[in-house]
Amino acid sequence: MNRTRWIFVGILVVALLIVGIALLVRALNSEEPGTQTGEVAPITVARPASLTVRVLTSLPVEPWVRSAAESYNATQPQQDGIPVRVEVVAMDGLTALGRWDRNEFGALEAGVRREDLSAEQLAELSDFPTVWIPESRYLVELANAAYKERLGQDVFLTDGEYRARPIATSLFTWGIYETRARVLQTKFGEISWQTIHDAAVAKGGWPELGGDPAWGYFKLVVPNPNKNVGGLHAMIAAAGEYFGRTEITVEDITNPQFQQWLKELMGSVTDFSSASAYTAEDFALFGYSVGDGGQLLESDLLQNMQGILTRWEDPLNLYYPRYVTWFDFPYSIWVGSETTAFEKNAALAFQRYLLGDEQQQVALVYGLRPANPRVPMDANAESLFVKWQARGVEPVVPRADAMRNPDREVLLSLLRWFELNVAD
Amino acid sequence: MSTQPRSPLDLPTSPRKSQPQQGTRGDTRLYLVIGAVLLLCVCAGLIFLALQFFDGDNPLQPEAEATTIAAPSNATLTIAVSPAMAPTFEMLVAQFNAQKLQTPDGQPMVVQTVALEPDKMVAQSLGAPAFQAIAPDSSLWLTQLEQRWAAQQGAVEEAGSLIPIGDRRIDAPLRYAISPIVIVAWESVARDLGWPLEPVGWEQVQRKATRDPDFKWSHPSTNNASGLLATLAEFYAGAGLTRGLTEDAATAQTTLDYVRAVEATVRFYGEGEAVIMQRLAAEGRDFLDAFVAQEQVVIAWNQLGRGERLVALYPAEGTLWADHPLALLELGANGETPVTPNQRNTYRAFGAYIIGAEAQQQLLLAGYRPTDLSLDLNAPGSPFAAVDTAGNESPVDWRQPQTTLQMPPASVIEVVQNVWWFTKRPTNVFLVVDTSGSMAEGDKLPSTQAALIAFLIQMQGDRDRVGLIEFGSGVKRVEGLRRLDADGRSEMTDIINSMTARGNTALLDAIWEAYGYLLREDDREAINAIVVMTDGQENASNLSLRELQKRLAQQSGATETGTPVVIFTIGFGDDLDDAMLEDIARVGGGQYRRASETDIQELYRIISTYF
Repeated sequence: MNRTRWIFVGILVVALLIVGIALLVRALNSEEPGTQTGEVAPITVARPASLTVRVLTSLPVEPWVRSAAESYNATQPQQDGIPVRVEVVAMDGLTALGRWDRNEFGALEAGVRREDLSAEQLAELSDFPTVWIPESRYLVELANAAYKERLGQDVFLTDGEYRARPIATSLFTWGIYETRARVLQTKFGEISWQTIHDAAVAKGGWPELGGDPAWGYFKLVVPNPNKNVGGLHAMIAAAGEYFGRTEITVEDITNPQFQQWLKELMGSVTDFSSASAYTAEDFALFGYSVGDGGQLLESDLLQNMQGILTRWEDPLNLYYPRYVTWFDFPYSIWVGSETTAFEKNAALAFQRYLLGDEQQQVALVYGLRPANPRVPMDANAESLFVKWQARGVEPVVPRADAMRNPDREVLLSLLRWFELNVAD
Repeated sequence: MSTQPRSPLDLPTSPRKSQPQQGTRGDTRLYLVIGAVLLLCVCAGLIFLALQFFDGDNPLQPEAEATTIAAPSNATLTIAVSPAMAPTFEMLVAQFNAQKLQTPDGQPMVVQTVALEPDKMVAQSLGAPAFQAIAPDSSLWLTQLEQRWAAQQGAVEEAGSLIPIGDRRIDAPLRYAISPIVIVAWESVARDLGWPLEPVGWEQVQRKATRDPDFKWSHPSTNNASGLLATLAEFYAGAGLTRGLTEDAATAQTTLDYVRAVEATVRFYGEGEAVIMQRLAAEGRDFLDAFVAQEQVVIAWNQLGRGERLVALYPAEGTLWADHPLALLELGANGETPVTPNQRNTYRAFGAYIIGAEAQQQLLLAGYRPTDLSLDLNAPGSPFAAVDTAGNESPVDWRQPQTTLQMPPASVIEVVQNVWWFTKRPTNVFLVVDTSGSMAEGDKLPSTQAALIAFLIQMQGDRDRVGLIEFGSGVKRVEGLRRLDADGRSEMTDIINSMTARGNTALLDAIWEAYGYLLREDDREAINAIVVMTDGQENASNLSLRELQKRLAQQSGATETGTPVVIFTIGFGDDLDDAMLEDIARVGGGQYRRASETDIQELYRIISTYF
């Protein structure tokens, strides 16, 4: 064998050595502790094949957000070149808050990083909400308070790019069947919590108030606070009027005279047991047989107005209270490592879509007041604020005092009072 | 261009091999080097590809997020549904299944149903039920379930530490149909009560029942919504209230006296709308004058077009609604099999179907008020339209009810259910039991004994009395009526456990023995009933069927002077004379039902609800 062939053989040997050494190194590197014990090695992927934005949505805006998500998905959105799909999960804000509080969504403990998770642990995060849209900002604050204790940081930001932003608003108004409202106005003047209280305690029922004996006694409709955060808001609004101010404290809630007054008021609710979270829908379904009127979310009342007119003889009218409580539906992006940066950015893009002129105009069709100030209340020909003006809806809210959001202690006091005095 | 000079000594030019040979050797080396380098490149490329492949970063495939591939979960969903709704519900389920929908991972979505009384639905949902969703007739059962679940879990959270919301046994329910609870009366009876010119309520019916001994009315037992709501209405009336019923008001002596007086007029209790429809079909106008049921029963009966119409009377004092919720159970907290992701998919799909346009229209035609508010109840063709196709005034009124009674808290409802046993009409019931030789086959006798003991447990009224007649070739043993206090229950249990199988089947003699006993007792305050069970054909009685029928007919025709006795017959097994047993039940104003070893206990339990 001449020298040239030796050189060739040498090169072959070197090539084989390179291959062998590379495979050996690879084999040694793959022997990680998790593998030896039968666990699946952690897998970190920089770019997923697709992204899912899971939006935990409170019930009043759920139909609109769901419809917007369908429209958005139809545009085949992408985030950094990755296809995005928005999924909507309906859940009442209080129920969601309870689940956040108990960490039932499975947020990671402090110090645990996403890249340290096994495939199984990552799979468990696959249903973790990317976004939460509760009814009101104070629910976000309560959730943050719970996680601050656990993690030492906020999980929903209140400033910066990912801050919680309202996507629409709605307020609580009186919805009362027209025939009944006329009798109350004749007897008491304006529609207020005090008027409702006085009607509720009338021992002789409607005949005593000047109404039809067939109507029975006065029946109030408010959501069950255990099922719908609107029930709490109704009680807060009632407390505001009772005390004549916009901020309610625990001392107010424990005031014996107020408790007696509130108990008399709540005593006129026909049925808290069957009332679902969709109170205005129930109101339409059972009509005046279960409720002569009540304070409910304006958007819910407007959405069900057609159903009420179709199903029952008597039309329903809206009346605006002096002490109002608002829902602002903050779009709150989870900032923890349970969701990826891609998902957070994709969530932000959907937020921009919701706040865009087009979707804000669609919100009017659901009886929601746009958060985007560029969109007027009559921007959509099918706006419920135009359609139901004859039923008393006011595009511009009359002068009223907005109740401040309750803190955690006030919320818990009200819930406990309700449990002890009304629910059981 | 320069050329090399040649010497004179140079040989003549000839082909020179060396030059070309030198060039070929150099090329070969070059090729070898290039080949080796290429080989190295190929090797390096292969190594790179191999490493990429083992890393999962195969550059030939798109990047994919790490996924855990699991076996598809079960997508068959079982729903427990109240018996009254079961026929309509099953029709909708069949239509849903016919769509052959699939879950995202390709599993067929299938819904199954099981008919179950709501109170049993609640009890089973607290443990490890064989179903994943429930569809009772009213949301009040969901409230009871949640309360009992919370009590069972002992979930008293530390004050202030948690938001006490969200820990539930059921997911958010949906409603797919509603129907108000009404007093149902034959049109002639309704007109007699003042319909349609005057409002009719619980008061008029209760007054009529207490004053007119011929007036036959009934409400179901409290284990379904219409019975419970009728009972609540009585307690409200007794307490002089239309809202704010408290435990104190419900247990006040005046309230109890009133309810007892009203309950004394009830012919018998029963199982609710499902059986009411069966009995209406079998007995027509001979059935009760009035009874409490969902409005839907009125429409369903009148659609059959058989004889006199039924009319829905919406109680002037107020009524309550059967609101037909559908709810998914949140199983798994106590180790029971959790609901699978695909069962959730099936639930969501079925939920969407049942509130969809097609199902809602069918519910409307079946006589329920659909939850789709866009459906106009008064539209032409609707069973609620003010005037029917023949131009008659509608027996139902979509504008009613005007008002409802207040649903008390769950704790008060529980008190009413418990107290009702002390106010309901007392019962004298004779258990007539076949212990002929054929009862020794298989587990017939032990399962009968277990069923009879279960029957005793169901009878909770403190004034109820039970007797027992055992028969074979003749009447073997007559154990007289005894009160079901602790001693009475113990004695009856011993008697049941001591039964032995032998002899022929003297069925007719045994029935007449029991009938005669009750006639002699002449206890007109009580419901008097005989529950007969046999597994074979009559072959040993002195009395003929014709003679027994004649005697029963004579007695039932003399209700003003005699004691009415209701006879229920149970055929156990296959070797039976169905016609005879059916005939006896018909003449006795009761029902005939067949049973097997597996369901005889349930059958006795159902019959106990009539008392």
